[in-house]
Amino acid sequence: MLRRSLRTQITTKVVAISAAAAVLLGAVLVVLIVAVTGQRDAARTAFRSQEALGLANQLEKSLLSIESGLNRYVTTEGGMSYLRAARRELAAYPARTKRLVALVSDDPGQQQRVREIADKIDDYDQFWAQGLIEIAREDGFASAQSQVKTDGGRSQLDEIRRQFDTLFVRESSVIRTRERSAERLSARAIGFGVGGLGLVLAIAAGFTLYLRRSVLRPVRTVADATGRLAAGDLTTRVPAQREDELGELARGFNSMADSLERGRDELERSNAELTRSNAELEQFASVTSHDLQAPLTTISMYTELLERRRGNGAGAGKGASGELDLVDGIRDATQQARGLIRDLLEYSRAGRGNLVLEEVPAALVVEQALELLAGAVDESGAQVTVGELPVVLADRPNLCRVFQNLVGNAVKFSGGHTPHVSIEAEREGEHWRFSVRDDGIGMDPEHAKRIFEPFQRLHGEEDYPGTGIGLAVCERIVDQHGGRIWVTSSPGEGSVFHFTLPAAAGARTEPPRVGARA
Amino acid sequence: MRRPTPLLATLLVATAVALGGCGGSDDDDPPPDATTTQSDSPIRIGSKNFPEQAILGELYGQALRAKGFEVVLKPDIGSTEIIHRALRRGALDMYPEYIGVLLSEVARERERPPSSGAAYDAAQRFENESDFTLLAQTPFTDSNALAVKPSFAKRHRLRTIADLARLKGKVEVAALAEFETRFEGLDGLKEVYGLSNLDVLEVKGAERYTALDGGRTDVASVFTTESQLASDNYVLLGDPERLFASGHVAPIVSDALLEAHGDKLRTAVDAVTRTLTTPAMREMNAAVVVQKRAPAAVAAQFLRARGLL
Repeated sequence: MLRRSLRTQITTKVVAISAAAAVLLGAVLVVLIVAVTGQRDAARTAFRSQEALGLANQLEKSLLSIESGLNRYVTTEGGMSYLRAARRELAAYPARTKRLVALVSDDPGQQQRVREIADKIDDYDQFWAQGLIEIAREDGFASAQSQVKTDGGRSQLDEIRRQFDTLFVRESSVIRTRERSAERLSARAIGFGVGGLGLVLAIAAGFTLYLRRSVLRPVRTVADATGRLAAGDLTTRVPAQREDELGELARGFNSMADSLERGRDELERSNAELTRSNAELEQFASVTSHDLQAPLTTISMYTELLERRRGNGAGAGKGASGELDLVDGIRDATQQARGLIRDLLEYSRAGRGNLVLEEVPAALVVEQALELLAGAVDESGAQVTVGELPVVLADRPNLCRVFQNLVGNAVKFSGGHTPHVSIEAEREGEHWRFSVRDDGIGMDPEHAKRIFEPFQRLHGEEDYPGTGIGLAVCERIVDQHGGRIWVTSSPGEGSVFHFTLPAAAGARTEPPRVGARA
Repeated sequence: MRRPTPLLATLLVATAVALGGCGGSDDDDPPPDATTTQSDSPIRIGSKNFPEQAILGELYGQALRAKGFEVVLKPDIGSTEIIHRALRRGALDMYPEYIGVLLSEVARERERPPSSGAAYDAAQRFENESDFTLLAQTPFTDSNALAVKPSFAKRHRLRTIADLARLKGKVEVAALAEFETRFEGLDGLKEVYGLSNLDVLEVKGAERYTALDGGRTDVASVFTTESQLASDNYVLLGDPERLFASGHVAPIVSDALLEAHGDKLRTAVDAVTRTLTTPAMREMNAAVVVQKRAPAAVAAQFLRARGLL
């Protein structure tokens, strides 16, 4: 759960990248807006500063007009046009200084300077201009002319002009500073804009590449694999190492393919099984009909002879013993047919029904089988050696049947001498391999497979009686336990029958309970 | 004297308030009186356009500020003719003026006063006629005078202004521009001493001395507290007819201002005036003209030394 929440999913990545791109775009936009606003403000202030400069220039010039107007009025001894011009300018300056104060309102220093200039112009008007006009009128133009010569108003004008110069210098530097800052700001804004857009483009390109590489390609791989799967290649798999949605898709695909493959294998297995059992059935039918035909033919023939003899009534003395022989023949044939039918039943049972698996000490089972074979063993004088046997997971009666058949065969095909049989077990991985070894007649290795088929006999019934069903039953039982059975043998050298069984969990060996039996 | 005493003023105000409060309707109430307004607005002190006046303006201005008055200094206004008109017009409340110049150029008094006391009284009478008052005059005197080089005086045996009449040809006087049209100038010299052989070379400030030194003129119009006169390089011609009546300085103030601030203002101004002796004034002039120090700093130093700041 934690791992799942921690891992970076495609959805998370897509959301994160989109959010990053959006944030970046937003930031670029904000920077641009700030820059544009700043530039607009700078332009506006620069414009105001220019206007202020213009107005200050105009004011300074008007002061010169006032001075020259007054001087000419005095030197021309009453030139009223000069006086009117001077008065006009004098009347105009308060409004101009007020406007100038408003224009430099963002610079308190400049504003103070303009106010001081306004005060000084006021003083110039009050003290000098009005005084000079009064002197001219009251004391005469000669007095006024000598006042003009004293340069009385000049020093005040010079002071005002100095203030104006400071104002100009300051305002010009303000304009320059603002222009520079505006240029810097705009350069920075362009840089940010270009850089930001580049970054956004790079993110978009990276995102596309990421989608192609990490999303589209795996999806195409899965699509191709699906096509192959549909075409019947059930071994198709896709890489599924990724920890994201595509990883889940790949894993889902793979487990689907696994399940399909398993289903197909199972189908094939059961198909093979069906084919095999069908073949067995056919062989069974043929063998059964053939083998049953022989005793039935004998019974039918003997019965016919009996009937004929009864009808002729010939050879009464000799006739009674001859009829008895026929009845014996009929009985033998009937027993043979019964034995055949019993084995047939056994074989068919061995192939059916559920196994009851339990942990079974093999030694106990072998002991039970030897008890059942006690008659045959004693009769042949066989020596049976049982080694150390394990506990296995098996169906007890069936396992007993296997040992009984194998040991029975070892005793039966002894070739006339006293048989020696040994039973052993050996661990092979998850299985135990049991071996039943004899020193009998052996067989040609080419028959090693055929002997496990039902009703297959290597020898005539008159040499070694039996229906040829025992080993077929053994194979069926071992097969049902998930093991296999085979033989290694050569003629005259004896045979070793091997079969495997799955080991029980925590399997252990049990000390043999039957050491040797004579 | 037209100016009411502070006690009388207080009584008048008190009576007016009492009457208003007793039964007069609101309509009869006097508008907020000028006294109040006057004491609220700053005192505008003017000074003329030469160093001694700048120092005097600073002295009075700083001393008054130290006493808690609000002061605006208006320096560099111009000649007597200009500044006195500004005072009369109400553009100024106060400025320091030379008694002799006031009598000659403003009051147009042609009769020479017999003493400086008489000159002060005459000037006081003149100012009182138009609602102004002359406060106490300074101990120092800075009057107009005519200076010559000692060698020149010796050669022509010159002792007084009247002796200039003996010189042959035109006598050129280095002077400021207003000299030509003033009674304490060319006009008075003609009228009182009968000098008709004078010509004026118009120069500015200290150029009057350099003109004399360089031989461009034989005579210079000077002021007696000017630092150049501390040396033996110049001889002042005597003024037996008292043409240059009085060089003492007295602040002229408007009666409205005096009424508004009462004796406090007068006492503060007089305290400064009393200390201004001729050596003190010459020293301060030298500090500004020769050492090029700022008038404000020179004035502050002087006031501090006398415990007025």
